Amino acid sequence: MATFLVILHGLLAVALLGSITHQAIAVVLPAKSKAGFFNAYRAVSSRVYVNANVILFLAVALLGGVIYPIYRVWVRTYLENARLYSAVGAFEVKEQFIAIGLGLLPLYWLVWRRPEPGGDSARIAVTLMLCFIVWFGFIVGHILNNIRGFFGL
Amino acid sequence: MNTVEKTFPVFSAAFALIYIVSVELNWALFTYHPKIKQWGWLVEPSRDGPPMYWYGWLVTSALGAAAVSAIALPLLKNRPAPYRLGWIVPLLVMISVGYFFRSFFLR
Repeated sequence: MATFLVILHGLLAVALLGSITHQAIAVVLPAKSKAGFFNAYRAVSSRVYVNANVILFLAVALLGGVIYPIYRVWVRTYLENARLYSAVGAFEVKEQFIAIGLGLLPLYWLVWRRPEPGGDSARIAVTLMLCFIVWFGFIVGHILNNIRGFFGL
Repeated sequence: MNTVEKTFPVFSAAFALIYIVSVELNWALFTYHPKIKQWGWLVEPSRDGPPMYWYGWLVTSALGAAAVSAIALPLLKNRPAPYRLGWIVPLLVMISVGYFFRSFFLR
């Protein structure tokens, strides 16, 4: 069951990663022309991603919370015994970033669903912060999931 | 935009601030003991295996941020939403996380 949940957590994270990266690039580097792959990638309507990103972020965080006890009891103990303190620290930072990301969701929803001139910079900033959190969480989770292979243990 | 929505930036800022204080001072509203699958109120020492406070910190922060937002509600009635506060405070908290957890990377 735990393996299934970890895989589901990873798959939903991939979907979130794609969705929020697409939105972030479209809001930072918008394009009107759809000629070519990069222009077409940037010329999407960023607002349509908002609800999907909120739901995916909540789902990924919830699944992460469900499988977290397994990490805390078994994986973290293993990492500490192997003296992989930077890996433990990376997960600690990921944990805090995800929590801050959860707190950012109401603002993220607001700045996209109720666009106002005063909220332009907030829209870009919050989207980039969430995008960074998702990328950081994904990379750390991926490395920890494969840590024995990465470090030849 | 209604007044409740104007408090969303306040919620995000308060959540991040209360969260990092909760982590540093361990203000967990409850503790989970994963090895024996038991819950306990507030901060408890280990019963068997490592205790987990993360869920407790999240709930402390959510309740605290909701309370701060409720207090801010009348203050924002005739004012614009404080968007900048809503992302600058969490950004500073994210930067501070790197500082607070630096010891893991300096061993």
